Amino acid sequence: MKSKKKIPVFQIVNGLIFIILCLIILVPLWKVLVDSLDLRTAYGMKMWPEKFGFDGYAQIFSNKTLYRAILISVFTTVVGTLLALTLSTLGAYVLIQWEMPGRTFFANMLLFTMIFNGGMIPTYLVLKGLHLTNTLWVVILFPALNVYNLVLMRNFFEGIPASLYESATLDGCSPMQTFLRIVLPMSKAALASIGLMFAVSYWNDYTHYKLYILDSKLYNFQMKLRGMVMGSELPTVGGNATENTIKNAAIIIVIIPFMILYPMLQKYFVKGVNIGAVKE
Amino acid sequence: MKNSKKQKPVKSNKSLGARINRYKGFYIMFLPVFVFAIIFCYLPMLGIRYAFTNYNGIKTPSFTAFANFKKMFDMPGFWSAFTNTLQISIIKLVLTTFIAVVVSIFLNEIFNLRFKKVVQTIIYLPHFLSWVVTASLFSLILAPTAQGLVNSFLVSIGVVDSSKMIYFLGSSKWWRGAYYIINIWKETGWQTVIFMATLAGLNTELYEAASIDGAGRWGKMYYITFPALKNTILTVLILNLAKVMNLFESAFVLQNDAVLDTANVLETYIYYQSFNSGAIPNYGYTTAVGLFKSLVGCVLVLVCNHLSKKVREGRGIV
Amino acid sequence: MKKKFIAMLLAATMVFSLAGCGDKPNNDNQGGGSTPASDTTPADNNGGQGEATPEPAADEVEKPSEITILVDGTVFTEANGREQFIAKLQELTGIEKINVIQPDHDAYYDNVGQIIAGGDWPDVMILSSTYYSGYAAEGVLWDMTEAWENSELRQRQIAYDGAGVVEGMYIDGVLYGMPAARGNGCVTYVKQAWIDQYNGGKVPTNYAEYSEMCANFVANGKYAVSAAGFVGGEAPYINYLPEFYQDAYPSFYQKEDGTWADGFTEDSMKDALQRMADAYAAGWIDPTTLTNGTKDCRNKFFSDEFGVFTYWAGTWATNLKNGLANNGVDSELVALSPIAEVGTYLDRIPPVWCISSTCKNPEGVFKYFIEPMQDGGEVQFLWTYGVEGVHWSTAAETLYEGTEQEKVYEEGQFHGLDNLETPGSQYTKAHIDPALALVDLANDPADESRASENLASSTLFAQNSRLAVLVPTTDEMSQYNGDLTTLKNSLIAKVVMGEMSIDDAYAQFEADGGAKWSQMIVDSLNNR
Repeated sequence: MKSKKKIPVFQIVNGLIFIILCLIILVPLWKVLVDSLDLRTAYGMKMWPEKFGFDGYAQIFSNKTLYRAILISVFTTVVGTLLALTLSTLGAYVLIQWEMPGRTFFANMLLFTMIFNGGMIPTYLVLKGLHLTNTLWVVILFPALNVYNLVLMRNFFEGIPASLYESATLDGCSPMQTFLRIVLPMSKAALASIGLMFAVSYWNDYTHYKLYILDSKLYNFQMKLRGMVMGSELPTVGGNATENTIKNAAIIIVIIPFMILYPMLQKYFVKGVNIGAVKE
Repeated sequence: MKNSKKQKPVKSNKSLGARINRYKGFYIMFLPVFVFAIIFCYLPMLGIRYAFTNYNGIKTPSFTAFANFKKMFDMPGFWSAFTNTLQISIIKLVLTTFIAVVVSIFLNEIFNLRFKKVVQTIIYLPHFLSWVVTASLFSLILAPTAQGLVNSFLVSIGVVDSSKMIYFLGSSKWWRGAYYIINIWKETGWQTVIFMATLAGLNTELYEAASIDGAGRWGKMYYITFPALKNTILTVLILNLAKVMNLFESAFVLQNDAVLDTANVLETYIYYQSFNSGAIPNYGYTTAVGLFKSLVGCVLVLVCNHLSKKVREGRGIV
Repeated sequence: MKKKFIAMLLAATMVFSLAGCGDKPNNDNQGGGSTPASDTTPADNNGGQGEATPEPAADEVEKPSEITILVDGTVFTEANGREQFIAKLQELTGIEKINVIQPDHDAYYDNVGQIIAGGDWPDVMILSSTYYSGYAAEGVLWDMTEAWENSELRQRQIAYDGAGVVEGMYIDGVLYGMPAARGNGCVTYVKQAWIDQYNGGKVPTNYAEYSEMCANFVANGKYAVSAAGFVGGEAPYINYLPEFYQDAYPSFYQKEDGTWADGFTEDSMKDALQRMADAYAAGWIDPTTLTNGTKDCRNKFFSDEFGVFTYWAGTWATNLKNGLANNGVDSELVALSPIAEVGTYLDRIPPVWCISSTCKNPEGVFKYFIEPMQDGGEVQFLWTYGVEGVHWSTAAETLYEGTEQEKVYEEGQFHGLDNLETPGSQYTKAHIDPALALVDLANDPADESRASENLASSTLFAQNSRLAVLVPTTDEMSQYNGDLTTLKNSLIAKVVMGEMSIDDAYAQFEADGGAKWSQMIVDSLNNR
């Protein structure tokens, strides 16, 4: 590891460490997977299901109201993520205009919202006054402004070479044009990572649903699964899959979309800002 | 990266009106953000006034000045919960961020892209488990019985006697350590997302230049990769300081009656206080607690932001 | 720096200038009138309100034409045929429109708080005992004492021994809510196979025999008893380990002479702590009791790790049996009569149906909505079993044909239908558990349709339980009981796990202010 010739050794050691790390991370998840495929209930750890079967998954997908919930999840996630990205990129772009009068005020105004909040009841009353409660708008609009992500986005924008802005301005681009033609195309990694963060929070959201939506027809997938896992208060008898099997199947189902999405997004993480810069 | 930082904010000589006019396009672009902040953050924030009242959501709030704060500060459990919160939350924040940075740097060294993808996907999966599920998984893994993987392992290598297995989550001595490890397990991978994205923006030419200068692998990690992350690390740390006092769910699901002296944080303390009281919650009181937490967060952020300006050449994190 | 300060100042000014016009959203809501946020389903009107036969009542109480009810997940949810249920209810009660607001079950009380704060109070709402006494004290609930005392409902309940439960809901002589059934409680189940194999077939009747059984179980393998924590999170706190608590009670209770006391400070509690500490040290109690969730306990019970489990009576007897059978474990369970030292199990305080004080026609709502729920006839049947053809049926049919759980029913045989939300399981009841009813239900198919273990455990429970007493809320209570309970619970955990002696625990109880708070609360209860 001391001289350059041993690079492959480093690669192997590094790779091995990551393999061990992944295995450690997978141990608890393996239990969830095994339990979701096991029709027997087990408290302890098992290597393989004792009585293998897909009934847990079948039971979840035979729920007729689940499909609407999936559509709602997809809709709110897509619309919400787009909206949230729009707000974060616009805000972040304005916040790197260091000489703009009022910039500090705007920055502090946003930071302030991150630290202070009015509490549960006042928030509900405002949302109700706006007639947003019990509509999907509340779960899309309310979480859309996220100052944490906005500041991270601004951090990425800071990395874009200032010379590019200057040349764009000299070419007669308006701020909006510069934003659309230079800032956004050069921030693919930022858009992908922060977009992912928004998408995950929209997809996983249940707190806003349970507090602001009373009509179960407007529940998303996550709410439905929670209902199944936490158990409705009407006990029923029978069924092939045990309560435990269904619960674990639900946990796996929630993870799957992001197991697929993440590797797809990763190409944006590899190609970065500078490849774009060379092209310009 | 470097050149953007060189243009320090220079005082312009033009009149304010002219400067505003020059930026009018930007004001329009900021308008949507502004509107959202007013509607969804500042309007509800008016509720902060309830902190100085007795308000249960039914009768008109009655003004009680600082009575809610007095009640809060008077309770013996409050101060221990307060210090627990600061300790647990800040150690957790520093620890998970540090490990996420290290993991990102080493992940960045992997050449095989497919392997890298697989590793990244696996380590971020635990983020998708809810805290309730995580808690039940780890109470099994850390159980002081033959079913607890960790204890069985320790017994098999002879570190622990099989009759004296360690109740990691049930003893004040071990609880915090277990809590940090569970947090690292769950959130490290997710935190690397943002660091990996930052590294993706890194100029490969820098590495080539460093190689020519004779820098080794460690040298490059130390002189190029880490500094590139510095900005993001600082931002993440400081922004999270604002939320340090909000620690609730992870502590709530992992704690139990026996470890409350080390594990009870402000939010869980308040939760038990109202849940066990057998009365309708006084929203005035919870708002007062919220306001207190915000003030603490505010101080932490301002102080750290001030310190960070030295590192960030005069600029704060926002 | 200065600029920064000014910016912060500006931001702050903005908050306060906004505060000036800030009451607006609130006021809007106060005068909002009755536009309930609930979903009204189009099919609600199909119920054929025309045919509804008018009630024989000839007095001046007017039947409400439209009401809004706020309910939790114990009423059929939308996915479980709520639409049909409400349509049928409208038809039977003759109330033309029943609007239902049904928030997520887990967030029910957050939602209740918000809706109450929002100003549009529903006419009727379900409340648990804590919120019941809290909202009653705040004037949210309508005083239904007179309506109930002069009602036929009361006569029916007296005839069936159910009136005592209602009387238990009086707060300072006033009734604000009507329970639809008993609260139910826990009985101790022991695995028959374990008794036969390890305890010579002997069912314990007192603590000596019970401890002998535990010792025998432990000698043959794992621990004997498991629970989710040493002390419960809600009243009655001793639910899950009654054999060890016996006559001890870690919270406030009313003595026979009517005065209040804190059971934690009494000697009986010290004895109970000693029993639990001994049992824990001997390995009778699950070593991970402290970190168990109720689901963990059930899973451990199903995978045959322990043999004695105190859990809900009634429907859960069947659920436990099925869980064991599913796992290939001998599913025979003995529901233990309370051992001599325990005497009786505790009946939880039931949730109640309340009418809000802003309801325009509370007498009408009581007479035409609350009363019929326990009419002993058609409406009670609906609340107990649901809608024919949706939740139950008497037609000849075969359910789950061709699967392991195939069930064949003859014509006229009452049975629950397949669950709409999670197919593969059958409905067993609706809102009212037939075994817990306060009024005799005519033509109740329970005896034939209910599984024997279900019936047996609830009968056993009904015969061997006493009602938990509703503890009123006082100022001192809401001030100190939260911290007091936290302190008590942590001391109990430490003593039982052997980290602290009983004397040290009580010394700390004194030192940390617990004894003082406890006395203040007791005094406040006695001086009300």
